[in-house]
Amino acid sequence: MSYAHISLPRLLLSLGLIAVAIGLSRRSRLGLERALLWGALRGAAQLIAIGYVLLLLFNHEHPAWVALLLAVMLITAAATAARRVEHGPPRRLLFPRAIAAIGAGTLVAVVPVFAAVVPLHPWYEAHYLIPISGMMLSNAMNVVALVFERIFASARSEADQIEALLALGATPRQALERQVRATLRAAMLPTINGLLTVGLVALPGMMTGQIVSGTAPEQAVRYQIVILYQLVAVAAVAGLVAVAFARRLLFTSRAQLVLPG
Amino acid sequence: MSSKLEARELVLVREGRTILDGVSILVRPGEGVAIQGPSGSGKSTLARVLSSLLAPDSGAVLLGGRDAREIPPAQFRTRVAFLAQQPAMFEGTVLGNLGTGPQLRGESLGKAQAHELVRAVGLDESILPREARTLSGGERQRVALARALANAPEVLLLDEPTAALDPDAGERVVALLRDLRARGLSVVMVTHVDAHARALGGTLYRCERGRLAVEA
Repeated sequence: MSYAHISLPRLLLSLGLIAVAIGLSRRSRLGLERALLWGALRGAAQLIAIGYVLLLLFNHEHPAWVALLLAVMLITAAATAARRVEHGPPRRLLFPRAIAAIGAGTLVAVVPVFAAVVPLHPWYEAHYLIPISGMMLSNAMNVVALVFERIFASARSEADQIEALLALGATPRQALERQVRATLRAAMLPTINGLLTVGLVALPGMMTGQIVSGTAPEQAVRYQIVILYQLVAVAAVAGLVAVAFARRLLFTSRAQLVLPG
Repeated sequence: MSSKLEARELVLVREGRTILDGVSILVRPGEGVAIQGPSGSGKSTLARVLSSLLAPDSGAVLLGGRDAREIPPAQFRTRVAFLAQQPAMFEGTVLGNLGTGPQLRGESLGKAQAHELVRAVGLDESILPREARTLSGGERQRVALARALANAPEVLLLDEPTAALDPDAGERVVALLRDLRARGLSVVMVTHVDAHARALGGTLYRCERGRLAVEA
């Protein structure tokens, strides 16, 4: 291995960075000290745990285990995306829809790539499948959370516009068109900005990781390009599916606007 | 040609409160109907149910003898126009606003038609290129009326069309509604202003605690 090992004492040393933030929080009375400490410890614990899970998984690579881990990731992403939507429908309505939207976006981005661009051997090869699916699930989660957050809020604040359109004979799709467009643009924007600034501002995590661990930069770059394109597809599909669900929750079958919450 | 609009035994309960308590009403073709009542009496809810923007818990709305639930919502709402108390203006010009209804059906509003519409509501052509959201309350009310008329409705339902206007502008809107009625349009107006209810001319109803009664 050609990369520098991080020993446990050195890992603990990096906690000093959190201490800096905690010190600043205390000084400026932000009241974030507990959240920072909890976040730092929880994040580390989650990563260490997934490290062991991956180790186990790589040693006992079986489609059922890979599927189980992906399912846990999907459920966690959906639960997070469906959480605390102010003035939105209850979580029990949003959660299954978040699963469908995140799942659809991830499938569309992942299946063709593993079928044609990065062939897997065997097809459930966890080394590739887990980290790349994880990135897709995470992007889909952010997009779906943003769609839910925004579409219900704008339907509420612009209810008079929507009802005026319905009263003129608009279908729910026509009546909600403006809000849908604004929502999808906002949801896609971070992904598009990512495309525009990649390499100029940030070197993406996966590429950095591959380079650090010794992959030829030229191959690492190609992987990253594929990932970026996948992220775009994920955002588009997950966003559209989430919007379609939101529309169904906002209108009755008789094209009447019902504001949840 | 105008059709009759009818409601049979409408009941609507929200959060344990009975808002409509078995309301029935018949609006004959070309008839003027004013529904009067204190705020919270259910009259605005009734207008929204009649316009199919709100579903009753039980009872039925009929248009031309046909249950509204059998008529596609877009079709029902072009035949029965509804104006909210403070109608929302869409972004863009007055002309753009007037063309909204036809545009939703993939049609476009001709220039001559637009002129005719603004004149029908007592405005003149100079208003067409103006930004709709900059209009005054009275102008908005008229533009919303013209926008609804662009769909050539048979029944006009208005929720407190004069409530947000000064007395002068309010009276002019009522006079306009009387004109439209004279041209064969059925007009149903919800109002809490007694003088406006009487000025419309036609049947006068009183709404109280979710029930409707004809006023002498």
